[in-house]
Amino acid sequence: MVLLQLDPFLNELTSMFEKSQEKGSVWVTLKRSSLKSKLQKRKLNAAGESIEYRCLIRATNGKKTISTSVGAKDHQRFQASYALILKAHMTALKKRERKDRKKSTEAEKKEDNSTSSKPKKL
Amino acid sequence: MVYIVSWDEFVDRSVQLFRADPESTRYTMKYRHCDGKLVLKVTDNKECLKFKTDQAQDAKKMEKLNNIFFTLMARGPDVDLSEVTGKEQIETQPVKKGRGRKQ
Repeated sequence: MVLLQLDPFLNELTSMFEKSQEKGSVWVTLKRSSLKSKLQKRKLNAAGESIEYRCLIRATNGKKTISTSVGAKDHQRFQASYALILKAHMTALKKRERKDRKKSTEAEKKEDNSTSSKPKKL
Repeated sequence: MVYIVSWDEFVDRSVQLFRADPESTRYTMKYRHCDGKLVLKVTDNKECLKFKTDQAQDAKKMEKLNNIFFTLMARGPDVDLSEVTGKEQIETQPVKKGRGRKQ
């Protein structure tokens, strides 16, 4: 399990997606974690300090696993980059055909109406 | 494995699950480009909710859900979510009223 910084993690994730295009899957898991052991947590709770939680993100292609942890400050930036990567790679999903068909038929109807609404005056 | 049909129900129940047990709840996504399939799973190791799809529009919805989970996990389960803006409302200042009245 490789723990990376934010940007290297995003780069590795991108290459994972690219490599798994022909076959294979990409798993991404999100979990809240303080990255501290139970003992440390107990100590912090006893001392009355609040535990700082981070969002742990893991990604794997079945063979290689990478991970990173995101705090409250970085999460918005990470979110934006992550969304971009997903949008760029999830191209194999189907797009709704029904709406496209409806739109195209409506467009055809509109065109027919517009052409027929101009009567020829001689 | 419980596959949920309605997206909104999946989102509501996942957030509920997370708020009930933020320590052990996790959110997993699996994407297969060769099959064109996306599967989402939220579990707290006692109960499991899944959602599968092959529609591009669901990928957009999933992005919003990702935002929700990032916010919940990084800032804490008590964060107030306004799904339209996608972020917490606690820090926003209240609208100033009654200042611009000129009579």
